[in-house]
Amino acid sequence: MNLGIHPGDLVSIQARPNRLWTQSMSWVLFIVGVALYAQFSASRHKENPEDRVVPSAHQLVEGIKTSALQPAEEDDALDPGASLYQRLHHSMLWKDTVASGMRFVWALLLLVPAILLGLHMAVFPYAGAVFLRFVLFFDKIVALSLLPILFIVFGIEEWSKIMLMVIGVAPTLILDTYNNARSVHREQIVKAFTLKSSNFDVAYRVVLKQILPQIINSLRLSLKPLALFLFSGEMIASSDGLAYRIGMMRRHMGMDIILPYLFWVALLLFLADALLRIANRRLHPWYQPL
Amino acid sequence: MVSAALRPVPEFDTPPLEAVPRRTEIALRDVSVAYPCGRSGIKTVLSGINLEIAAGEFVAVLGETGCGKSTMLRLILGEEFPTSGSVAVDGKPVRRIDARCGYVPQKYSLFPDRTVTGNVMYGPENAHSRMIGRLRPSYWRFRRQLRVKAESYLKRMGLRPQDLTKYPHQLSGGMQQRVAIAQALLMHPPVLLMDEAFSALDPSTRASLQEQLHSIWLETRPTVVFVTHNTAEALILCTRLILLGRHTEGQPARSNILLNAENPASHIPFARRAQCPEFHRIQDEVKQLAFESSSMFQGEERAEAMSAEAR
Repeated sequence: MNLGIHPGDLVSIQARPNRLWTQSMSWVLFIVGVALYAQFSASRHKENPEDRVVPSAHQLVEGIKTSALQPAEEDDALDPGASLYQRLHHSMLWKDTVASGMRFVWALLLLVPAILLGLHMAVFPYAGAVFLRFVLFFDKIVALSLLPILFIVFGIEEWSKIMLMVIGVAPTLILDTYNNARSVHREQIVKAFTLKSSNFDVAYRVVLKQILPQIINSLRLSLKPLALFLFSGEMIASSDGLAYRIGMMRRHMGMDIILPYLFWVALLLFLADALLRIANRRLHPWYQPL
Repeated sequence: MVSAALRPVPEFDTPPLEAVPRRTEIALRDVSVAYPCGRSGIKTVLSGINLEIAAGEFVAVLGETGCGKSTMLRLILGEEFPTSGSVAVDGKPVRRIDARCGYVPQKYSLFPDRTVTGNVMYGPENAHSRMIGRLRPSYWRFRRQLRVKAESYLKRMGLRPQDLTKYPHQLSGGMQQRVAIAQALLMHPPVLLMDEAFSALDPSTRASLQEQLHSIWLETRPTVVFVTHNTAEALILCTRLILLGRHTEGQPARSNILLNAENPASHIPFARRAQCPEFHRIQDEVKQLAFESSSMFQGEERAEAMSAEAR
């Protein structure tokens, strides 16, 4: 049977797999993962039908239903005649997603000044002189070690968690923006000044516009650290949120809830990343990544 | 208010040659440039340069790599400052980079995030109004007029209508340089500084751009300082030739003006210049002069480096 692939191609740098092969092979590890899980779960359930450590497909579906259609334990029960929309809207998953999402969005908004600081440090030499050494030092502080201080300063409510995310990611983002802005060719800046640009024209209309695609890529790379800091904060002190729920369920060995939550978080981050990637491509058709 | 950059000229301005006043446009007085080099060492690139360039001149600055041609250009531009001496453009000392000088570098001359038309319109837009001014309806009227003018400039520079909406990375090197020249000229700068602007181009594109630049210069008569290491290019284009190099052997490795003369090939008609035997003879002489200076320069630099190493 001719599969259109030579066995030697699998280890050849010069191989040119066609689109069908590329698409098919990208799903192989997912299928293998699901198959291994199903096999492992089935073997454990053969020994103990009530096993909760590796829930079966049926248990997982029930767990998804519980989290997506029923309110959290700490909330009031819903009217039995509630519509699907009401059930979704008052569900545990929705409540936790909104709580974590709000913290995430606030943190992203508070990172905008960090980007502008990086830009100014690169473009205005005096700003660079004042901030660079400090940011380089601050970048080396382990953000989680600041958590007790954040709890004292901001209390254990929302702001301590948001600030943990901001403080954890901001120095890296500042330095990344700084490096990107510094890598804009000097000729561009000189040219802009000969074309009657003001200092702020050069900073915002020349340098920032040119490095915006790279900043968006940095933000994409920062999504996971942001989620990591969010989860740390929520697991330590919170009364809602995706990580809070995972922490709660861990105590009850509720893997049927933890696993759907875990994949839900991964899916949300994947979608946020894809959204930024697509937006970047659409907004900056001129961008030529190296 | 209509900006000076948007004077109603469908083509390039064409002041007659003799109407151009012969005042001094660029003046370098006793200029030296030195950089710290290594541990407690100092490298002098230019030493005691005195140069006056009159308005409307086309000056080519020739010399071997590392002799300070681009440094001289950066001094005029205001990107760099002399260690001693002074630089003035249009009678005023150069303190920062500003719109008195148009600039066409060898590479990265266009903003990659703007289309061809957007690149050319960038300067006049800045000249017309700042951020808040761009919210006024008059700004949008101005932009429409400017677009027409920018497109006519680009057409004149040999760009096709379908190229105008392209981004710089979609253009060839020659096309990019054509746009860069149009971008600089639309601002009507009194001085145009070109740093190895055609060095990265193939010979035929280079020849066509040289012709275009020459005809634009004849029409608009800006003062052009054209830095190149290509002797033929310098002799084809310029009215005056400046050769940077060493005066005599035994001097420290630093550049001075070795030759500052009217282009001996300028009497040959432009179209025949490159083919004329006399042109080749002149070219050989200039090359010989540059070669002698360059061998001295390299020998002295090597000797200086060795003595620094020994220290």
